[in-house]
Amino acid sequence: MGVAEVFTEFGDIYLQSVLSTWLMTAVCFAGGLTLGIIITVLRVSPIKPLRTVGDVYVQLFRNIPTVSLLVIFVYALPYLGATLPYRTCLLACVILIVSAFASENFMSGINAIGVGQIEAARSVGLSFTQIIRLVVIPQSLRTTVLPMTNLLIATLLTTAMGSQVPLTPPELTGMVNYVNSRSVAGISAFVVSAICYAGTSVVLGFLGNRLDKKVRILR
Amino acid sequence: MSATVSMRDALYEAPGPKTRRRVAIGTAISLVALAALVAFVIRQFYINDQLNPRYWSFFARWTTWRFLLTGLMGTVRVALMAGVLAIFLGLLLMLGRISSNKVLSTVCHVITDLFRSLPSLLLIYFFFLVIPRYGLKMPSFWMITVPVALAASGVLAEVFRAGVNAVPKGQTEAAMSLGMTHGKITRKIVLPQALRIVIPSLVSQLVVVVKDTTVAYVVSYPDLMQNARVLISNYDALVSMYFVVALIYIAINYATNRFSIYLAHRSGSKIISRTEENPV
Amino acid sequence: MTAEYAGPIIEMRHVDKHFGQLHVLKDINLTVEKGEVVVLIGPSGSGKSTLCRTINRLETIDSGEILFQGVKLPEEGKELAALRAEIGMVFQSFNLFAHKTILENVTMGPIEVLRKSKKEAEAEAMELLRRVGVAEQAAKVPAQLSGGQQQRVAIARSLAMHPKAMLFDEPTSALDPEMVGEVLDVMVELAKQGMTMVVVTHEMNFARRVANRVVFMADGQIVEQNTPDEFFDHPQSDRARDFLNSIKGH
Repeated sequence: MGVAEVFTEFGDIYLQSVLSTWLMTAVCFAGGLTLGIIITVLRVSPIKPLRTVGDVYVQLFRNIPTVSLLVIFVYALPYLGATLPYRTCLLACVILIVSAFASENFMSGINAIGVGQIEAARSVGLSFTQIIRLVVIPQSLRTTVLPMTNLLIATLLTTAMGSQVPLTPPELTGMVNYVNSRSVAGISAFVVSAICYAGTSVVLGFLGNRLDKKVRILR
Repeated sequence: MSATVSMRDALYEAPGPKTRRRVAIGTAISLVALAALVAFVIRQFYINDQLNPRYWSFFARWTTWRFLLTGLMGTVRVALMAGVLAIFLGLLLMLGRISSNKVLSTVCHVITDLFRSLPSLLLIYFFFLVIPRYGLKMPSFWMITVPVALAASGVLAEVFRAGVNAVPKGQTEAAMSLGMTHGKITRKIVLPQALRIVIPSLVSQLVVVVKDTTVAYVVSYPDLMQNARVLISNYDALVSMYFVVALIYIAINYATNRFSIYLAHRSGSKIISRTEENPV
Repeated sequence: MTAEYAGPIIEMRHVDKHFGQLHVLKDINLTVEKGEVVVLIGPSGSGKSTLCRTINRLETIDSGEILFQGVKLPEEGKELAALRAEIGMVFQSFNLFAHKTILENVTMGPIEVLRKSKKEAEAEAMELLRRVGVAEQAAKVPAQLSGGQQQRVAIARSLAMHPKAMLFDEPTSALDPEMVGEVLDVMVELAKQGMTMVVVTHEMNFARRVANRVVFMADGQIVEQNTPDEFFDHPQSDRARDFLNSIKGH
C-alpha cells in the first residue's frame, strides 16, 4: 500500500491530524510564550524570592523529560484531586516545558542588551518603565526571533508526545500507530507524517529567518 | 549564569529609601504567597491520602533503589550508545556537508535537516512498528538507541559545523601556506580544534538524548521510566513514584547541564544548542 | 531654581565612595561654575570616571553630598529621571540605542521625556545632526556608522535635551586616532558656546586649549587643580609631575 492509498483510505483523518497538530503547536507556543514572559518578569524582578521561584521553575521544566511530566499529569494528578482530559494534560505539559525554554530565550535576549544601553537611557532621563518599554523589551524581542523560531519547531516536535495518550484525532506521530494497526500501510504513514513535520519545520524556519533579517539588531 | 545575574541587576538602580521599602514589602508578600502555595500542595497530598507512609516507605528499602538503579543503568547505556552513534553520524553528515562534492553536500544537508525536523518518537515508531513488518526484528535496545541517535545526529551535525566555523580562518591559511592538502588541513588542523570547541555542546546535548530515551517503554526496554512503572504496579504507589522519577531525571539533566557550562567556562567556548542554530 | 539660579551648577562636598574594599573616591570637593569647562585627568584607576558618573548618579556615593544647581541629587524615581534629563552624558562606548535609527536616537528623549511632538523633535534633531555633521546618516542604525560619527550622534542626543551641563566620560578613548579630531572639534564648539562641561579625557591638547580648569586625580583624590597653563607648565605635586612625564612620550 503506497502513499496514495494512505490518502484515499485515511485522507480525512490525516487532514484532521495535521490541522490538530498545527493547532496544538500554535496553542502550546502561544501559551508557552505568555507563561515564559511571566516567568521572565519574575526572574528579573528585584524581589529575591520571586527570582528564585523563576530560576527554579526554569531548571525544573527545562530538565524534566516530557513523558515524565505527562505521566504525572495523566496518571498522578487524578490521585491528587484533579482529573484533566488527555488533550488538556498534553497541552499543559508542553506549555510548561516551552515556557521554561522561552524564558531562557528571553533572558539571553536581555543579557545581550548591555549595561551601556541602560545607562544611556537613564542619562537621557527615561524612567524605569520607559527604559523597559523603549529599550529592554524591543531589544530583547528582536534578538530572540531565531531562538524562538527554533523553539516553535521544537514545540511542534514535542506535540508528538500526544501519541502517548489517546487523542481523537491522533496527532501526526500517533497517526503512524493508528494507520499501522488498521492496515499494512505503516511505512507510507511514516513517510506522510515525516513530510508533514519536515514541511512545517521548513516553512516555519523560512518565515523565522525572514523575520529575523528584518528586525535583527546590528551591534 | 553569572552573566544572567549581572544583567538583570543592571536593570535596576541602587535603590533609594522608597524603593527599598517597596522591595521589602514585595518580598514579604511573595514569601507569604509562596508559603501558601506550598501549603496548598501539601494539603492536596494530605487530603488525598498521598502522604500515607505506605506510599513512601518502600523508598527506604535498598531493593527499590537497586531496581531503579538497574533501570537507570539501562537509561545510561542507551543514552551513551546513542550519544556515541550520534557523534559519529553527526560528524559524517557535517563532513559530507562541508565537502566540495556538490551532490554529497546537498544529500548530507537534506539528511541533517530532516533528522532535525522529525520528533524522535516518530523515528522510534518507525523502528518499532514499521520495520518489523518487513521481517526485520531488532532487539529492543537498538529499537530505542538507533532512532534517538538519528534524531541527535542532525543536531550534532550542526553543532560540529558551528565548531568548524569557529576555528579561526588564519589556521587554515597558515596550513595552506605550509603546502598541506585540503583533506590534511581538515583532519590535522581544523577538526581537532573544532572538536575541542564543541565538547561542552556535546555534553549539553546529552540532556536531549536522555530525555529522548524516556519513551523506551514503547519498545519495552527496561530503562528508569520502565522500571518505575514495574515498581508502581508492585507497590501500588503511583504518585510518589512518578514524582521521584521526575526528580531523578531533573537531577541528572541539571547536573549534565551544569557540567557542560563548567566545561564551556573552563575552555572559554560557547555552548551551541539547538536554540542558536539556524532553523531548518 | 531655574533660570535665575546664579550659584555653582555642580557642587560636590566631602564625597566618598567604595567599590567593596577599594576606596575609589576620597573626600572629593569640587565646584563647577556655569559655563565652565573642567577637565579631569589622571592615571587610570584614579577615580576620574567614577567621579564623573556620580554627578548624574549613574554611580551612587557612600557619604558626602552632590548638588546640582544648588539642589541635592534625588535618590530615585521621577525626580532622579528629571535631574538626568537636565545633564547630558557622553560615554566612552557611545551607547547609542542599537535598535533605533540615528534620528530616533536623538528624538527619543525629547519625545518621551520632554513630551515634544514627533514633528518638532525631528526638526530639531535634524538641525542638531547637521550641527555635528552627520545629518546624511539620519536614517541609518548606529552599527552602520563609524565610531567618530556615533560619538557625534551621542553628543547630539544629549544636546537635544537642552542640558544645563554635560558630562563626557572619556569620549575619544574608544575611537581610532583619525576620528578623535572630529569629536573634539564638536566639543570645542560646544565649549565656545558656553556649555558647562565636565570632561574626563587623556587628550592633553584639548585640555590645554579648552579647559578653564584642570583637575588632577590620583588614587581617588583630587591632588591638585589649576588653570591648564599653570598645571601643565608648573605642576605642584610629585604625582602630577610623574603623570605628565609618563604621558609626554606619547
